[in-house]
Amino acid sequence: MNPFQYVTAHTPDEAVSLIGKNGRYLGGGIDLLDEMKEYIVSPDVLVNVKHVFDTKNAQPIVFTKDPNGCSIDATVTIADIAAHEELKKVLPGIAEAASEVGSPQIRNVASLAGNLLQHSRCWYYRQPDIVCLKRGSQTCYAQDGENKYSSLFSGCACISPIVSNLSVILTALEATAEVKQAGKTRSLSIGELYHEVLKNPAAHNSLEPQDFLLSVNVPTKRTRSAYRQVSEKSEFDWALVSCAAAGNVAAGKITDARVVLGAVAPVPYMVAEANQFLEGKPLTEVTASKAADIILKDAKPLAQNGYKVPLAHTLIRRTLLALNT
Amino acid sequence: MAAWPNPRQVLGKPATRLDGVAKVTGAAKYSYDVQPDGWLYGMILRSKWPAAKVTKIDLSKAQAMPGVKAVILTEGEKRTVRFYGQELAAVAATTKQQCLDALRAIEVTAEPSPFVVKEDDAMKDDSPHVFDTPNVSQPSLKEEGQVDQALASAPAIVEAELRTSVQLHHPLETHGSTVSVQNDQITAWASTQGVFSVREGLANHMKVPQANVHVICDYMGGGFGSKFGPGAHGGIAAKLSQAAGAPVKLMLSRLEQGLAVGNRPSSIQKIKFAAGSDGKLLAADVTNHGSPGISGGGQTAGGGGGSGIATPYLYKFPNFRAQQFNVVMNTGPSSAFRAPGHPPASFGTESMMDELAVKLGMDPVEFRLLNDPSDVRKREYNVGRDKFGWAKKYKKPGSSTGTIKTGVGCAGGTWGGGGKGSEAEAQINPDGTVELRCGTQDLGTGSRTVVALVAAEAFGLRPDQIKVKIGDTTLPFSGGSGGSSTSASVSPAIWDACQNALAALQQQTGVADARGANWPDTCKKLGINPLTVRGKWQEGFSGSGAGGVNFAEVEVDTETGHVRVKKIVAVHDCGLIVNPLTTTSQINGGVLCGIGYALYEERIMDRQTGLLLNTSFDSYKIPNIADTPDIEVVLIDMPERGVIGIGEPAVIPPAGAIANAVANALGVRIHSLPITPAKVLAALGKVPNMTSV
Amino acid sequence: MSSKSSHSAPVVDRRTFLKGIGTSAVAVASIQAGAIADEITKAAGPGPQGPGAVPITLTINGEKKDFQLEPRVTLLDALRNYGPLTGTKEVCDRATCGACTVLIDGKPTYACMKLAIDAQGHEITTIEGLAKDGQLTAVQQAFIDCDALMCGFCTPGFVMATTALLASNPKPTEAEIKRACSGNLCRCGTYPHIIKAALKASGQSVTETTTVINYGSVA
Repeated sequence: MNPFQYVTAHTPDEAVSLIGKNGRYLGGGIDLLDEMKEYIVSPDVLVNVKHVFDTKNAQPIVFTKDPNGCSIDATVTIADIAAHEELKKVLPGIAEAASEVGSPQIRNVASLAGNLLQHSRCWYYRQPDIVCLKRGSQTCYAQDGENKYSSLFSGCACISPIVSNLSVILTALEATAEVKQAGKTRSLSIGELYHEVLKNPAAHNSLEPQDFLLSVNVPTKRTRSAYRQVSEKSEFDWALVSCAAAGNVAAGKITDARVVLGAVAPVPYMVAEANQFLEGKPLTEVTASKAADIILKDAKPLAQNGYKVPLAHTLIRRTLLALNT
Repeated sequence: MAAWPNPRQVLGKPATRLDGVAKVTGAAKYSYDVQPDGWLYGMILRSKWPAAKVTKIDLSKAQAMPGVKAVILTEGEKRTVRFYGQELAAVAATTKQQCLDALRAIEVTAEPSPFVVKEDDAMKDDSPHVFDTPNVSQPSLKEEGQVDQALASAPAIVEAELRTSVQLHHPLETHGSTVSVQNDQITAWASTQGVFSVREGLANHMKVPQANVHVICDYMGGGFGSKFGPGAHGGIAAKLSQAAGAPVKLMLSRLEQGLAVGNRPSSIQKIKFAAGSDGKLLAADVTNHGSPGISGGGQTAGGGGGSGIATPYLYKFPNFRAQQFNVVMNTGPSSAFRAPGHPPASFGTESMMDELAVKLGMDPVEFRLLNDPSDVRKREYNVGRDKFGWAKKYKKPGSSTGTIKTGVGCAGGTWGGGGKGSEAEAQINPDGTVELRCGTQDLGTGSRTVVALVAAEAFGLRPDQIKVKIGDTTLPFSGGSGGSSTSASVSPAIWDACQNALAALQQQTGVADARGANWPDTCKKLGINPLTVRGKWQEGFSGSGAGGVNFAEVEVDTETGHVRVKKIVAVHDCGLIVNPLTTTSQINGGVLCGIGYALYEERIMDRQTGLLLNTSFDSYKIPNIADTPDIEVVLIDMPERGVIGIGEPAVIPPAGAIANAVANALGVRIHSLPITPAKVLAALGKVPNMTSV
Repeated sequence: MSSKSSHSAPVVDRRTFLKGIGTSAVAVASIQAGAIADEITKAAGPGPQGPGAVPITLTINGEKKDFQLEPRVTLLDALRNYGPLTGTKEVCDRATCGACTVLIDGKPTYACMKLAIDAQGHEITTIEGLAKDGQLTAVQQAFIDCDALMCGFCTPGFVMATTALLASNPKPTEAEIKRACSGNLCRCGTYPHIIKAALKASGQSVTETTTVINYGSVA
C-alpha cells in the first residue's frame, strides 16, 4: 500500500469533514485494503468510521412503526445482521444473504455499507498489472476474454457483475438508503444507489467517495423474503448467480412480488414485467418458471457465461418457491 | 537377511506427531518466521510482460529510497523475458513497506513481443513462437503390436478427447528462504524439500565451497514437489544478502507463487481404446499434448519438467501407440507436482475404461478386475467395493432419477516410490536419553515422527523419549523428500544406526540386551561419554511400487450443475505401516488435492494480455472444509514388503473416480477438468452456446 | 524495529456502552451518552496520524505492547515483524485463506486486512496466547491427538477459529464445525481430522474411519 494518514471520526459529519478530496472511509476494510494492496487506489487519508454511531441513542438495528420498517445502521457488521433474531424472523432474506457473505472472519468485520458499495471483483479489474476499462483504459478485456463470471445483461460498457449479496435482497425488499451527500441527507432507492454504474463504466455505485451511507431502511410490508445463491465451492466463494425474492403470500397467492438477480448484471437485475406477472398468482413451478423466462428474456450470453442462464432460471424458481413456507 | 522385527511394539500403531505441540502453539519456526539479527526484507521485481525484449532496467531511484540496503539485477540488463513473472531485479530493505516502495520505483524499459499462453493457440501453425523453434515438440513415441489393425477389427471401441488444466501447487508457505551471506560463508533457512539440494545450488550460484553452506529447514509449510533446489529466488536472496551485508528474508507473495515456481502441466489427451467382446483390452491409440510452460522438459515423456504422462495408464494393451508432444507457451515453467504425470493419466485412462465398460455392458469394477495386471490393486478393488457398497450403489449411467442425481465411479493409481541412500546418526546418552539425527525433511508428511518411531522400536523406548533432529545439512545425508521415497529411504537408515548403537552399547557395557527395564542402568555404565554411531540405508527394509484405488459417490444438482462429492473410499497398499494415523492424513490430503483437481482448480491465463488472472485463493479455488466428503481409508498392511511410500499414490485416483461418478450420475460425460457447474449444465444440453465439454 | 512511546486510551464503543447500561434504559443512557461522547472524543486523541510512523499500542494476549508504525502496517505485519509473534502466518495477504486468523474481542478476524492502528482498543488474541503456563488447551490437544495438522502452516488459523467456535457453541455439530472453519484453507488435507478434533475437544464422540487390513487376509 502507498502511505496514508489515519483518523477516527465520531459522527458522520465529522467523517465527511475529514475525508477530503482523496480520502476513503474505513469500515471493515476487506474491499478497500485489498484495492490498496494492489495499488488500484491510493487514498491519502483513511477515516475510520466504525465509531460514528457510538453516541447515537438507538440500537444499530431497530424496528420502527409508522411506517413499519427496519432501520440498519450502515456500520453494522454482516455477522451482526446474520445473527439478529428479529431480522431472521421478519426479514429472513436479509439474514440469508448476510450469512452467505464471504467467511466468518469477513462477516465479523465487513459492514453493510462496505458490502453495498464494494468495488468490482472482475479479475481484470483486480489484476495489478492490467488497466481495464473500469480503471480508465479503452479496453474491456472480459468482453472477448475470460468471461465465465461476467454479466449476462450489460447495459454498460463495463460487464463486471455486481457481487454484493445485500444489494440483491434489499432491492427485492424495496429498501432505501440514507446518504449524506454534499451536506444534505437524501433517501435513495437501491436502484438509485447503483444507477450511475450503467452510465459510467468507471463507477461501482452512484456515490462519490465522500458521500456517507448512513443507514438502510427496509419496509417490513413484505412478510416473505428469501435469498439463494450458487457457487462453485460450497462455502467462501463468490456467487455465480444469486437471487432474492420478496412479497406477501395469502390464500396461496403472492402479491407485491419483487424478484431480483445478482451477479448477472452490473446492478441488481429486476424485470418489472416479471413482478407484474406474478401479482395475484400462486407460486408454483409453472408460474415461477414463467417469471424466470420473463426475467431472462434479454440475456446476452458471452462465450463462457451462458451457463448463468439456466442457473439463474433454477435460482429464480427455487427462491420464489421458498416464499411459500 | 536383515528385516524388521516381528512382532512390532511401536511401528504400525497410531502415534501423534513429535512436532504437534510446536505447531499448535505457534512455536514452530518456518523459513518465513526465522529472524536473524539485522535481517532485511527481500523482494523480486518481475516482468509484467509475457514476452519482451528488455532494454533498460533503471535501479537508481530505488537505490536512493529510505531503508533500501541493496538493489540488484537478477541477470543482465538487456535480456529476453518469456513469461509473466520472470525475475528481473531485486531489492533488500529494512521493512516490508520500504521494500515494496523501492520495487515500484525500479523502471523497466522493454519492447513487448508477440506471445502465446493458451495450448490451442500455441499449437496453431501461425502461433507466435516462444523460442526460435516450433512450439510443438517432436513426439515421443511408444508402440507395440499392430494398433491400426487391432482397432480396425475390434468389436468395442471408444474414443474421446479429454483435457486437464494446469494445476498450481500453492503450498500455504510460499517459496522462499532467509539467507545470510558473510564473505564465503552462507547460512540459509529454506522452505525446501531438500536441504542438500539447496546447499548444492547455493554453493554453485555463489561460487563458494559446499562445505561453507549450511542449510536449515526445521519446519516447512508444504511443497508438493515444487521445492527442490534454491530456486531463482534463493539465489537472488543470497546475492541480496551479499550486497547488503545482512541476512535477507525473501519469501514470495501469493501472486508470485502462481507465476514462477512450478505447476502441473496441462494435458490434451486423444484416447481411443478397444476391447474384445470378452471384455479384454485389445488396443490403445493415445496422443497427448501437454504444456509445461516455457520448460520443454526434453523431447520425451516423463515427469519433472516435461508434460509427459504415464499413458495409457495402468492397463496392458497388447497393441498400443502413445505419442506425446510438449507444447511450449509463454507461461511459468512446470515442476514436479505430487505424482507428476499420473493424475492426468489416471483421469484420462480411467474415464475411457468406464466408457468401454458401459459399451460392453459390464460393471466397471468387474471390467477392471478382468484387465488390471496388478494383483495388489485387484484385491484393493475387492476390498474397496465391499466397504463402499458398490453392488448396491452402482446403477447404469443416468439411471438416477430426480433433480439431484447420484452416481458412483472408481479409478486406480500406481507409483514407484521407494528410496535408498539415507544416512543417520544415533546417540545414546549416559542418562538414557537418545538422539537421532538425519538430514531429511518433514513437509507435513510426518517424517520427523517416523524417525522417532523407528528408533523407539529399535531401542524399546517410547517415541516421545527420542529426540529427533532433521532438516539440516550438518546432519547425515538424506535425499530430497520427493517421489514418495522419504520413509523408505530414511527408516532403514534409522534402524541401522540404532542397531549399530545397540551393538556398540553392548560392546562398551558388557550388557547383552540393554532394552527394557535395564536401559537406564546400562546407559549409566557409559560414564560421561555419550555413544554416537552412524548407520545407513540397508536392503531388506523397504520396497518400491505402491498403488491404490478410489471409489467415489457424487451428487449432482442437474439444475445448478453443482457437484458434491459425498463419499470417497480410498484403499492403498502401504507395505509395512509405520504410523496409520499420519498415513491416513496423507491419504486424506491426496483425496482433497484430487477433489480440487477434479472440480475446482485451473490456472487461468488471459489470451489478450498473457497475464495470470486467478491470482489468489478466491479465484484459484482449492477445496474448502465444507467441500470435504466422508473419506474412509483402508490401509493394506503388507509388512513383508518393508516400508514403501504413500505421499503420491494418494493423489492419483480421486479425479478419475469422481469424473466417472459424475458421468454415471448424469448419463453423459464431461471430458475436461475441472468439472464446473458450467460444464455440467452444458453437458446436459442446457447451455445453447456451450456444447462440447 | 519497535520502540517505546506513549499510548492512546482505549476506545469505548457503543457495544460495550449499551451492554453496560442495558438496552431498554435509553432515557438514562442519554445523560451518560453525553459523558461517554466526551470520553470518546478525548480518547480518540489527535487528528489524522501518519503517514510516517506513529505510536500505536496494541493489547495482545492480555499485555499492552507499544509500537512505532506507519498507518499502512497491517496487524499481521505488526505481529510478525515487530512483535515478533510469528505464530500467525502470512499466506495470501488478501483475506482469502485464514492463515492469519487472530481473535479480536473473541471474534475470528483476518489480521492481514486489519491495520495495526485500527486494532487499538481491542483485545487481540494470537495463537501464542492460548496455552497458559505451557498447558495446552483442549482444542490444541485435540488437534494433536486427532492429527489435525500436517505441515502446520494453516494450524494456528484453524486452532483460533475452532477455539472461537467452542467458546460460543460448546457442542457443535459437524455442519457447524465446517461452517466455523470455512474461512480457513488447508492444502495438505487436514480437514477430516480437524472436524474430528473439534468434536473431540467438545467432548463429543468421534468415529474411526481408517481400517487396517492385512494383505494376506484379502482375496
